[in-house]
Amino acid sequence: MTISRKCVPFTPFDRTLEKSTIAIVTAGGVHLKDQEPFNIADELGDLGYRTIPQDVESDQLMVTHHHYDHSDADADINVVFPIDVLRELEADGFIGGIAKKHIGYMGYTMQLKAMYEGTAHEIANEIDKGSRADAVVLTGG
Amino acid sequence: MAVQREIELRGIPTVLITVSPEVSAQMRPPRALYPKGFKIGNSLGRPHMRELQRTVLRDALMLLTENTRPGSVVTREYPEYGEQYEPPRVKS
Repeated sequence: MTISRKCVPFTPFDRTLEKSTIAIVTAGGVHLKDQEPFNIADELGDLGYRTIPQDVESDQLMVTHHHYDHSDADADINVVFPIDVLRELEADGFIGGIAKKHIGYMGYTMQLKAMYEGTAHEIANEIDKGSRADAVVLTGG
Repeated sequence: MAVQREIELRGIPTVLITVSPEVSAQMRPPRALYPKGFKIGNSLGRPHMRELQRTVLRDALMLLTENTRPGSVVTREYPEYGEQYEPPRVKS
């Protein structure tokens, strides 16, 4: 079944934030320093994604992306991947927990069709099956 | 934002923090927050402005509990961010 672009998927949030686990998905090209960087030499963009674990330290993360000025993210990853901020919200009791998996991808691609049919499904599967997230916050739009 | 729509389709509520609201609105996000005047690369604010980052993240997560119109982008102002930037425009 093809969903019209005019149709907006919407899952009601039936929980409370203080009992919810939150995952971050960023298009800002964030990945662990020991993971393979996104391929910025490829003109068409890198369709891959990286899985970021729950217990990541912010200094283990870096940005590889050639379509925005990420010098601020280089200084403080939280401006695109707010993991420390999320931890503070958890400590405050504002949210219930941090998801087991988070995702970084490079949200610029000329291969739009492949993105829709491939990577987006894979990322959604990772979040759905592996992250135990009750809700997701996305950045990089 | 195909990724956001796919996650929502799996039954997981999502909220996007966008600094390109016109571009994002074209993708009809289930929920979206535009922190007004934030530049690309500063979704949550500037480096080390932890109080501001907390406020923006809280506001984004709160949209999950609010009665938002699916497909629309909510704009909020954060004067503490300082210098404002124009977001990318979309040709009509």
